[in-house]
Amino acid sequence: MAITSTVSADGTQVTIYIQGRFDFSSHQEFRNAYEKLTKTPSRFRVDLQGTSYLDSSALGMLLLLRDHAGGERSDIEVVNCSQDVKKILLISNFEQLFSIQ
Amino acid sequence: MNDLRSLKILVADDTDADRLILETIVRKEGHQVFSAKNGLEAVAIFQQQHPDIVLLDALMPEMDGFDAARQIKQLAGDELVPIIFLTSLQDTQSLVHCLDAGGDDFLSKPYNRVILKAKIKSFNRMRDLHRTMITQRDQLSQHHQRLLQEQAVAKQVFDNVAHSGCLNASNVRYFLSSLAVFNGDVVVAAIRPNGNMMVLLGDFTGHGLPAAIGAMPLASTFYGMVHKGFSMSDVLREINKKLKAILPIGLFCCATMIDFNFRRKRIKVWNGGLPAGMIHHKADGSVTPMRSTHLPLGVLPEKSFKDDFQFYDVSEGDRIFMWSDGIHESRSPDGDMFGEERLLEVFAQNREPETVFEEVLAKVKHFIGSGEQDDDLSMIEIRMDSPESLVHPNHYFIHKQQVSPVEWELRFEVKPTSFKSFDPLPFLLNVLTEEPDLRGFSGSLYTILAELYSNALEHGVLGLSGNLKKTPEGFAEYYAQREKLLDDITDGFVHIYFAYSANIDAGSLTLRVEDSGAGFDFNAHQGKAISTTGYSGRGIGIVEKLCRSVRYYGSGNKVEVVFVWINDD
Amino acid sequence: MSETQHLSYDVLNSLKDIMEDDFVLLIDTFIQDSQSRLQTLQQLVGGNDRDSIRIDSIRRDAHSFKGSCSNLGALRLASFCAVLESKALNKNVDDLGVDLAEIKEEFFIVRKMMLDFIA
Repeated sequence: MAITSTVSADGTQVTIYIQGRFDFSSHQEFRNAYEKLTKTPSRFRVDLQGTSYLDSSALGMLLLLRDHAGGERSDIEVVNCSQDVKKILLISNFEQLFSIQ
Repeated sequence: MNDLRSLKILVADDTDADRLILETIVRKEGHQVFSAKNGLEAVAIFQQQHPDIVLLDALMPEMDGFDAARQIKQLAGDELVPIIFLTSLQDTQSLVHCLDAGGDDFLSKPYNRVILKAKIKSFNRMRDLHRTMITQRDQLSQHHQRLLQEQAVAKQVFDNVAHSGCLNASNVRYFLSSLAVFNGDVVVAAIRPNGNMMVLLGDFTGHGLPAAIGAMPLASTFYGMVHKGFSMSDVLREINKKLKAILPIGLFCCATMIDFNFRRKRIKVWNGGLPAGMIHHKADGSVTPMRSTHLPLGVLPEKSFKDDFQFYDVSEGDRIFMWSDGIHESRSPDGDMFGEERLLEVFAQNREPETVFEEVLAKVKHFIGSGEQDDDLSMIEIRMDSPESLVHPNHYFIHKQQVSPVEWELRFEVKPTSFKSFDPLPFLLNVLTEEPDLRGFSGSLYTILAELYSNALEHGVLGLSGNLKKTPEGFAEYYAQREKLLDDITDGFVHIYFAYSANIDAGSLTLRVEDSGAGFDFNAHQGKAISTTGYSGRGIGIVEKLCRSVRYYGSGNKVEVVFVWINDD
Repeated sequence: MSETQHLSYDVLNSLKDIMEDDFVLLIDTFIQDSQSRLQTLQQLVGGNDRDSIRIDSIRRDAHSFKGSCSNLGALRLASFCAVLESKALNKNVDDLGVDLAEIKEEFFIVRKMMLDFIA
């Protein structure tokens, strides 16, 4: 999977784009996208437009992001989900933890 | 002083002195003069020299001015050659005679230089205008011809793409006027492997070639996918995606697509932007409209596209109608539109369902009457028949499929040399999705496969423990260890086995994964709810939700899951 | 009413402007033309029958002659031709000879005036 990210002009929001399968193989890159920023953003978006498949390790990685972003206080949106991806997220009750679109 | 380009002017007068004066005047105005003494000479010189303007004396020997004028006009053909009669005839009848013979004007004697100059200038302007008009007329005509040729080619290509359909099935009737095709209407119909019929009626915005251009990818996508067993959602999504990519902003395709299930007597309808189709019930003649609930094709990006349907249960003998807006927008000579009310009237007044189709067409044609409009009509009628009575030349439907299931098994082993570099998941998923019934579940199947395989490889063969993944660092450490262990591994295996069994209505896929590891105490892990907090451990929970059953056996190094589905159309 | 002016010098002068070096040629041509036309008319009028073709020829020749006279400014001559033309049109053959004689006489006057002009 390929990871790219963009940061808003004022540094308060970072958007991470996942291309291809969402699994552990780019675990490090995924972490880099949100950990190695000069200013800690207050809002996070994970854009799954380019993703059709995800497995449980991906779910783990989302949780890692959530904890990094403040756990209960975090503001994370998971957007542009395909039907299949959304199904997996809902089965796992992730809508309780993330804003899913 | 010459503010006019030099023209060629023919002067015909039988009186030498008069001719001499005229020649001189014309020459002094800067033009080239040709002289004739009588009508015969005038015609001959005209043929040779093709003068721009002709000055003709009315009364001449041999052939008088009138006959000469007639002949010259004929010789000129499309071109405007002004003829000015030289005459002192004053009576109305003679002047009318001059005009009838083709004269455009008169010049009376004595010749007035100023007047002659003005007339020459004026007629020359007229000639230029006329020439421009002829050129434009010819260009338009050529352009129109070319357009018609392109239309014919487009239609031919389209017909070639469309021939594999079932529009000539015994229960299908359709009408597509040539103006409708020109205006971007398209109709495609095909039989699915499971015996259902899918029909799509589309109306592209625009006219002529731009509209036809969209019809081709639509048709080829439609036929390609329907024959392979793709569902209506899949086909609609793919067509929408293609059209969105191809068509410029502002162009789109209003469409109605219907999936006919002849066994269940049920239809699935998606209408994006076309007027409501109608279900005509045989029992009581009532009609149920199928209204547009979606945006047309080619407008929304894939993520926003809505593929939900309306379901309608129908009875055998019921007729389902679809049309584009050509019917509703047909105009009477007074400018009224036909509209939905008149359409409903046809149904209300009909006594014999068999003839509704013709009655609609007849009523529209009658309504248009002598109006200038050609008919721009597209209409299709499909009758709900029993599957056995369906007859059409290209059908793929095999009755046998209803009764006996399709079954196959697949065994696959991943060997140590492959563990590190070969990812079997895309390969296996590809194989599975060749099976039309499984295509709609590729997401779930991936998740299940990924889960079972990673467990088999990581916990089974490599012996990694999920406990590592309790902290973010542990998570990273786990995958680092995974890499390292894969580098060193020399033996072990993962066996993957599929068994597929399906018939028309439903199917099941059994998946077994066995690894060469020690296994685990699976009894101790029964009935756990899906963790919401841990970074790992939820995988099997998800698989349990997606499958009908999950069962461990052996020493815990073998797992069998059963994934089922119903073909609910 | 007949025109009283034998020859319009305005017309002649503007013709002279137009024709330039060919002006003399024009006058000569006119005089030649006219003489031969008078001869033709003489023959036609001399024939005393009421042949309608002959009468029509008289009409046409008178008409043509009238035209060229007016072009050259011989106004009185032109008006005499008009009379002849009109009578021929109405198939009135009485005294055509008289009309023709009048025309001839007027022509001689005009011819002299023209020749004097170009001298």
